[in-house]
Amino acid sequence: MTQPKEIFVKTDRCVGCLSCTIACAVAHSNSRTLFGAVFEKPVPKSRIYVEWSDPDKKIPLVCRHCEEAPCMFACISGAIHRDENGVVLTDTDKCIGCWTCVMVCPYGVIGRHLETHKAYRCDRCPDRDVPACVSACPTGALVYETAASFSGAVRKSASRELIRSEG
Amino acid sequence: MEESTRYLIAGGGAAGMAAAHAIREIDQEGTITLLTDEADQPYFRPLIPFLVSGEKKDSDMFMAGSGPYKSGNVSVRTGSLITWFDPEQKTVYLENGGRIGYEKILFATGSRPYIPPDIEGLDADGVFALRTMADARSMAKRAEQTSHAVMLGGGVLNLKAAFALLKKGLKVTLIVYSPEVLSQLMEPEDAFLIRKALDQAGLKIINGRSAEIVLSGKNGVDAVGLDNGRELSCGMVCIGKGVSPNVHFLEGSGVIVDGGVAADMYTACNIKDAYTAGDVAVAYDPVSGDRMVTALWTNAVEMGRCAGKNMAGVKTKYSGTFGILNATQVADEPFVSMGTVHTKEGDFEVQRSSTAGSYRKMVFNAGGDRLIGAVLVGDITNAGLYRYVIREKKPVDRIKQNIIDHTLHYGHFV
Repeated sequence: MTQPKEIFVKTDRCVGCLSCTIACAVAHSNSRTLFGAVFEKPVPKSRIYVEWSDPDKKIPLVCRHCEEAPCMFACISGAIHRDENGVVLTDTDKCIGCWTCVMVCPYGVIGRHLETHKAYRCDRCPDRDVPACVSACPTGALVYETAASFSGAVRKSASRELIRSEG
Repeated sequence: MEESTRYLIAGGGAAGMAAAHAIREIDQEGTITLLTDEADQPYFRPLIPFLVSGEKKDSDMFMAGSGPYKSGNVSVRTGSLITWFDPEQKTVYLENGGRIGYEKILFATGSRPYIPPDIEGLDADGVFALRTMADARSMAKRAEQTSHAVMLGGGVLNLKAAFALLKKGLKVTLIVYSPEVLSQLMEPEDAFLIRKALDQAGLKIINGRSAEIVLSGKNGVDAVGLDNGRELSCGMVCIGKGVSPNVHFLEGSGVIVDGGVAADMYTACNIKDAYTAGDVAVAYDPVSGDRMVTALWTNAVEMGRCAGKNMAGVKTKYSGTFGILNATQVADEPFVSMGTVHTKEGDFEVQRSSTAGSYRKMVFNAGGDRLIGAVLVGDITNAGLYRYVIREKKPVDRIKQNIIDHTLHYGHFV
């Protein structure tokens, strides 16, 4: 089996422009256009979050689709399952809005849609080749790669840094 | 010839099913037999109030094929009540006459409603303690024939049952002996927003009273008599006074039972090749270190998975359970309660904050350097992060103000 791609975050590249959050909300709207999405009810939500921490670090956060996903095992209605690509999905029809998943997610990346009373999260944009947040990121802070390829790239870049610093 | 199985799972609830599927992830060959005394296939027990209200139907309830319960080849026997267990012969005996040998066994027989012995007349028709799908079906049926239900006990399950009946158009009165509802999960002043929402939703609540007698006639329940002499006429009664573990079949077997089946750090019992998980097991609290039974779905799944791994030969330490770990929504008011939340007695640093629509209470240890509990009402965003901080006993120095202000996010750990 080929290894599925995942969304990785390079925090050092994020400038906090929030393009990812807008693209995500639009991709999960009915109209799939910015102008349409703005007027939709219920309001389309972003499943990616950009948090700030001291002194001025921007940290995009999105569902990790954890291997031993706590949300999936905690769910009391069987609404959360993992698909064949490793993506952990919330079945909106089965979700009863008890928020147990919110209580156990250590990343805080499961949202509560108050109008529909349903939990929502990153679904890695099943209809797109590349998730909307990754396509929209202007600085390359979000990448969509297999774990092997991403860690390979990180290793190479770290070695380059090392060589440069040693001069 | 006597029947035998490699893995015998006694109990078809959350812990049993989680264990069976965890075993299957590791051992694709070994036979797994799961026994449940109920007539139904294993189901999502927390959903039964929706069966009462009619919002869900039978087919929405079952675990097999849903969520993480997708691996197959688990032989489920319904209607199989275990009456006796012989550790020498490694055999269980069933009420229906059958007996099954095993190599590894899991006691995950769960719990049943605690029925207070001091209330008279509880054997009348129309008295329920909501626990099983069968209970839910008969409650739904009874609700068609009556206009007023009296609920005894103010816990989460009884509140959910109350709302299911409200949805069906009944008048519902809740009798709570404690000063406020949800007294196991929070202190009275923590519950004021929830109480307000319950009142607004039309639930009638009587505090500080208990039922003494259930009066009945030829059509079953007529009325409930309270300890102040007051009589409430009603057509059904629902008891929600907690649960007690199903351990009767272990009597004389040598398995240590002390308020439940005693588990070690690896979910194992005191006898060989026997494990336990879920409501029936006595685990321990990672915060206080106390041994405890917790009747909670989330804990049962976690412990069941751990037991399953151990049974399949992957030694796995159980990280322990929070005695209090509950998220839910009653009357459109979401809340989360976890860890140490009763702070009236003992030395704690308690930080409260309250707005018109939300309330939170963050409980730190006396030294103020560790978070040990949290109650969030209204705004429960990122609740999982606080659970993580409590459970991992993270030092809070750098993030304490964020915890108090409820602005903690994962970025603080990066």
